[in-house]
Amino acid sequence: MKQRALAVVLAVLLAASAFALVTAQHRSRALFIELERAQAQSKSLDAEGNRLRIELARAAQPAAVELAARGIGLVPIESKRTIFLPAPQGAGTCGSAVKRAPECVEAR
Amino acid sequence: MRRAPERPRTGSVVHPLLAIKLPAWRSKFLLFLLFCAFVVLALRAAWLQGGGSTEFLQQQGKVRWLRTLEVPATRGKVTDRNGVVLAASVPARAIFASPEGVEATPQQLAQLARLLDMSSSELARKLGDDDRRFVYLRRQVEPQIAARIAALKIKGIGEHRDFRRHYPEGMTNAHLVGVTNVEDRGQEGVELAFESRLAARSGSRRVIKDNLHRFVEEDWLRPPVDGADLALSVDNRIQYIAFSAIRQAVEASRAKAGAAVVLDVRSGEVLALANWPSFDPNLSAAERGRWQADALRNRALTDTFEPGSTLKPFSVAAALDARRVTPQQSFQTAPGWIRVADRTIRDSHPHGVLTVEQIVAKSSNVGTVRIAMDLPAQALWDLYTGVGFGQPVRIEFPGAVTGRLRPAKSWREIEHATISYGYGVSVSLMQLARAYTVFARDGDMVPASLVKQQAAAGVVVLRPETARQMRRMLEQAASEEGTAPQARFAGYRVAGKTGTSRKLRDGRYVNEYVASFAGFAPASDPRIVVAVMIDEPGAGRYYGGDIAAPVFAQIASASLRTLQVAPDAAAPDPAKPAEPVLAKVAARGDKL
Repeated sequence: MKQRALAVVLAVLLAASAFALVTAQHRSRALFIELERAQAQSKSLDAEGNRLRIELARAAQPAAVELAARGIGLVPIESKRTIFLPAPQGAGTCGSAVKRAPECVEAR
Repeated sequence: MRRAPERPRTGSVVHPLLAIKLPAWRSKFLLFLLFCAFVVLALRAAWLQGGGSTEFLQQQGKVRWLRTLEVPATRGKVTDRNGVVLAASVPARAIFASPEGVEATPQQLAQLARLLDMSSSELARKLGDDDRRFVYLRRQVEPQIAARIAALKIKGIGEHRDFRRHYPEGMTNAHLVGVTNVEDRGQEGVELAFESRLAARSGSRRVIKDNLHRFVEEDWLRPPVDGADLALSVDNRIQYIAFSAIRQAVEASRAKAGAAVVLDVRSGEVLALANWPSFDPNLSAAERGRWQADALRNRALTDTFEPGSTLKPFSVAAALDARRVTPQQSFQTAPGWIRVADRTIRDSHPHGVLTVEQIVAKSSNVGTVRIAMDLPAQALWDLYTGVGFGQPVRIEFPGAVTGRLRPAKSWREIEHATISYGYGVSVSLMQLARAYTVFARDGDMVPASLVKQQAAAGVVVLRPETARQMRRMLEQAASEEGTAPQARFAGYRVAGKTGTSRKLRDGRYVNEYVASFAGFAPASDPRIVVAVMIDEPGAGRYYGGDIAAPVFAQIASASLRTLQVAPDAAAPDPAKPAEPVLAKVAARGDKL
């Protein structure tokens, strides 16, 4: 009697574990499908990002900028039309534009 | 004839019509056969399930559900030193067809031809080739267009993943960056030189598909490896400046071609390398037939020319370094010509007595020859070789040439003279630019680099004193007393040397010239070396001082401003304003 009950219990456990295995496998595959979808989306967003960066580079291309600038009447900087002024002594001397001037570096 | 119904032994009543008239053994035999067949199947099933080999079932499973996929990886980006994208890959699609299996209406074919940007006859030709089972219709098609082609749902047309390389800066950087082919392999330029670094390795994985064609499990055989990105030393702003300046100059002087190189004095990095004519690297493989052959050469690295007067400073520097002469030592150059061996060497104008400084500033052939003949040929050769002439340029670029400088022992007396003022030796523009860094620095040189890098250790070539003396002389050469006043620009002191050399054709010198200028700025603390070359200027003027020096001024002034280098020329006194604007500013106070 006892042996029979044991056999039944083990058989039930076996069946249960078989079901558990199948369920786990199924769940893992369902998650994998989700993962694939997310990865595909991530890849396509990366590619889109790359494409936009290229678009940006193309729009910011100096040749295009110059063309657009000339189109609205701007002219390029020429040293002929540039006035050079000595930097005023005191607070303004080491501003951003003249950071690299030798006197500024020494003052620090 | 009727028979009386038999009494069956089992006890049930059987109607005469339903009584089986067959012998009993037949049905039993049939039953036995079915039973045997069943047993055979059961045995077979047991065998397949594991009694024998499971090979067959596994094979069937693989065929139905297992796929081995190639996983593409992206080629590395090429950027300039500040991260501006110069070359990048985006996913695309390749459209292919199996000609036999194509079924399409004429309207569909016409639409397809339009989307593929092909003529209908060309499409018909490709699809009509029944011998081939697979033909590419077009590669590197944009995904949106590929989606529209797929929407046509033409049987026999398929698509697979592909990559397309974009060059946002187009012609400006074309020679330097180069191009790739349809297989995403570098063909020219940096794309080729750094192929192993940029190339991507596609991966491979096995997947199990379900009946909805989704992947449910995967097993990696080999992970994909994206190509590494590459940061070049080039500064795109300076590259554009150099490119547009050289293009304008070549077109304005109706020259054959031109090139410009900008080097960073402190690190040896190439900040710009521009050539004209140039080509559009964004053309697809099918359109590349439009490229002109002479537009493809990166002349700054692959073409050589006789440097002419731009070599004179090196001859003089060799003599200074060997303490044979001093900067203020005088030489008689009258009457403006000198005889060496059986040839006569002339100056463009006769000068009288000139100091060594003036010989460089006024570019006197006679003076240079007198100085150079006093030195042994080997000493000259040692310096020329030390600054890189006739030596391979150690730069990763396909096709960079070595130029030609024959060994000193093979020089005849006349060659000793002519080489000293730049004829009989050939150099590339890159070699010339690099050589001038020895004066821009304190007599040492660092290797040139196309890739962003820290400064390498310098190799000493001249004494620092010699370099300083040469800097002063070259500053004079770029002044009113020299041959290149047009090299000057406001705000900075410049130094440099012009060159106007005749070209050799079939062993004879002809009336075609190469106008060149090599110099550096600011002269007080040089930051950049700029070398310019214009090949065969055609509009009547051809002197380096007229054609190449202004290009140097344009490139150098804009580059120094871009790099925010502090001006070193004396500024006008605001108390005595020369312009009305200055007066207004002075009146307003120093609120700038």
